[in-house]
Amino acid sequence: MCSNERKQGSFRYTGTTNAWQSPMGRKKDRVSSLSYAGKRTDHYEHTGHTILPFKAQSDGGNLEMRAVLWNPSVRHTPYVGQHRSREEEHMEDQIHVTAQRDDKPEQREAGQFTEDGELGSWFKVTVPCGRKYDKTQLMNSIHSLCSVPFTPVDFHCDKHRIQFFVPDFRIASALKDISYKIHNEYFQKIPIFVNPSVAPYSVQNRFTKEEMEQLKLAMRKRYDVSQHALCLKKLRFDPDLMKNNIHMILNHRSCMAATLQIIQENFPKLLSLNLSSNKLFQLDSLIDVVKKAPQLKILNLSKNMLRTVWELEKMKGLKLEQLWLEGNPLCSTFPDRSSYIRAVLECFPELSYLDGRKLLLPTVMNTQERKLMKPCKDIFMGSEVIKNQVHRFLREYYLMYDSEERQGLLNIYHDQACFSLTIPFNPNDPDLNSMYVYFKDENDMKNFKEFHIQRQLLKYTKQDIVECLRGFPQTLHAFSSFQVNICFQMETMLCFSVCGLFKEEGTPKECVRAFMRIFIALLGSSNMYIVNDQLFVRNPSSEEINSAFVIPSPTSYSNFKLVLSQEQQRMVQAFSTQSGMKLEWSQKCLEDNKWDYARAAEVFTMLQTKCKIPKEFFKQ
Amino acid sequence: MALAVNFKTYVDQACRAAEEFVNIYYETMDKRRHALVRLYLDKATLIWNGNVVTGLEALANFFEMLPSSEFQINMLDCQPVHEQATQCQTTVLVVTSGVVKFDGNKQHFFNQNFLLTAQSTPNSTVWKIASDCFRFQDWASI
Repeated sequence: MCSNERKQGSFRYTGTTNAWQSPMGRKKDRVSSLSYAGKRTDHYEHTGHTILPFKAQSDGGNLEMRAVLWNPSVRHTPYVGQHRSREEEHMEDQIHVTAQRDDKPEQREAGQFTEDGELGSWFKVTVPCGRKYDKTQLMNSIHSLCSVPFTPVDFHCDKHRIQFFVPDFRIASALKDISYKIHNEYFQKIPIFVNPSVAPYSVQNRFTKEEMEQLKLAMRKRYDVSQHALCLKKLRFDPDLMKNNIHMILNHRSCMAATLQIIQENFPKLLSLNLSSNKLFQLDSLIDVVKKAPQLKILNLSKNMLRTVWELEKMKGLKLEQLWLEGNPLCSTFPDRSSYIRAVLECFPELSYLDGRKLLLPTVMNTQERKLMKPCKDIFMGSEVIKNQVHRFLREYYLMYDSEERQGLLNIYHDQACFSLTIPFNPNDPDLNSMYVYFKDENDMKNFKEFHIQRQLLKYTKQDIVECLRGFPQTLHAFSSFQVNICFQMETMLCFSVCGLFKEEGTPKECVRAFMRIFIALLGSSNMYIVNDQLFVRNPSSEEINSAFVIPSPTSYSNFKLVLSQEQQRMVQAFSTQSGMKLEWSQKCLEDNKWDYARAAEVFTMLQTKCKIPKEFFKQ
Repeated sequence: MALAVNFKTYVDQACRAAEEFVNIYYETMDKRRHALVRLYLDKATLIWNGNVVTGLEALANFFEMLPSSEFQINMLDCQPVHEQATQCQTTVLVVTSGVVKFDGNKQHFFNQNFLLTAQSTPNSTVWKIASDCFRFQDWASI
């Protein structure tokens, strides 16, 4: 059929009488439905194969053009003139027919004649470009530079080039003029190749008015007005369309073009489009959806044959909120789901559901550099009661820990508690060598060189634990630096962790350490007993030290200063011993009296005489 | 003396469980992320830099969205948890420290601690995560 067409085209240039007869013959072919269907079938077979036939046709076109140009003898001059005259007639016919197409059936035949004319005046435009180029941006540049406005027909792009058709010489000439006048981000000039061509596939196979009407009726049945949803799943096997011999193969550009045209004209509020199970292997024909249904929010492309996620770039202008892609080969090309999600979000950054599953942290995913969840300082899963209990415990514990005598800690540990200390050890880091003060046992000192990664002490029973803790350097903990997590909680048990900074005292040079402590406590009615205690001590970074002392103190710590001086620590301990009050109330009394020990003692005695101090202020 | 002997037995058991667990956990985190959620109990809780994630479904979503990781463990410590605290469910406290690089982010020092509970099966004992608490050491500078 193609070769026949070419011969006819060639024949047209040599015989005036025959040229006029050919269009009439075509009209008759159009009227015959059998012949028309057969023609369509042939073209389907062509598109099923490689692109080579189109190239061959294009080459043929070039040859014909050259043949005409190379025969400028006197004998042929009159024919050239006649050719131009026919072109003018075609233009007039086209304008006339477009204006009156829907009114008179007879004019439709004239329209078909125009289509025949169009077959001979098309140009193929090819823009070679690498995969890194942004195709959308490139097409925008071409549109803005081209002096004649145009609409690309049968637009196709893959990673290496852009290809489309334009219907007349003026546009083709204008596009040729801007070749090598566009450059990419690397300042390389981009050529634009323009060649005469046969009519693009979708023009050759344009739907008739009857077919469009049938398709519209079928699509109306599939449209949910309340949801603004159109289900074109397995459209090829729609019973109404099959009954009328309409083969809706959406991979074919003419079929998709007809579908999108009906969507644009009849379903302007479309929000959801289901194209699943249509054997789509590329999305070139769907490019127009960005212009014809820009309001689309939900797109289902599942169970098709899309091989690369790059196909989604062709619909980049849509602001999709939900997308289905599962059941396509492209899904198995990703090592894990997060890279799959990342690739899809590059095309549709506003997506919130992919394959029916909600995407977490959409705001985070929108940023180019994927950021991790922002840390929180403190988090308490438990109730307010637990929170207060933990705060009270930590205040009491670290006030005792920071005192000269740590003997009071005995009351806090369970009889069979265990404790371990871990510090990082790196022979290359001289600062860490100062950690030796934590290993006072002679055996540990002798084996100091054998420590490679870390040294660990595990103590069992509360006596051994407190003995070990009393051997550590004197400390002053910065309450404002504390971060508390309640990790786990049961009726009788609580696991919580504390991170923070403390100052070491009594060593040759005072220095700041960072620590992480994990406590597991038995919960009593009003107190907690420690059964597990794990301490990790390391050197902090300068950033940690700076930021720690900038953070404002939590309100629950407002009664305490950031760091008590050594003198103040001793005063609190002594006051607690003499008055019998708990450490925190002793400290409060001293603070209220501006650390005037004598005055605080006087006030305490007076209040005690008047029985104004509650029982719970005192130790048990 | 009897108590000390029992305690040492518990410690040995805890150390073996912890060492095996840590190897499995971080390899799964780095290389088989989709299988990580299987290491957690149904009602497990993760606190990730102060953000609470509870339940298997939420955990699966969280680990899916977490960028790919490269963990290096520098410290491992463990203790058996007193039976009085765990209502006779054998439990181990595991504490780790090291360096982690999440894709697209800078390197961070981190601390992590787990509570593992023993789940008896006919063939062997399987340790599952009841609690997971992860925190960057330099959280304030993020």
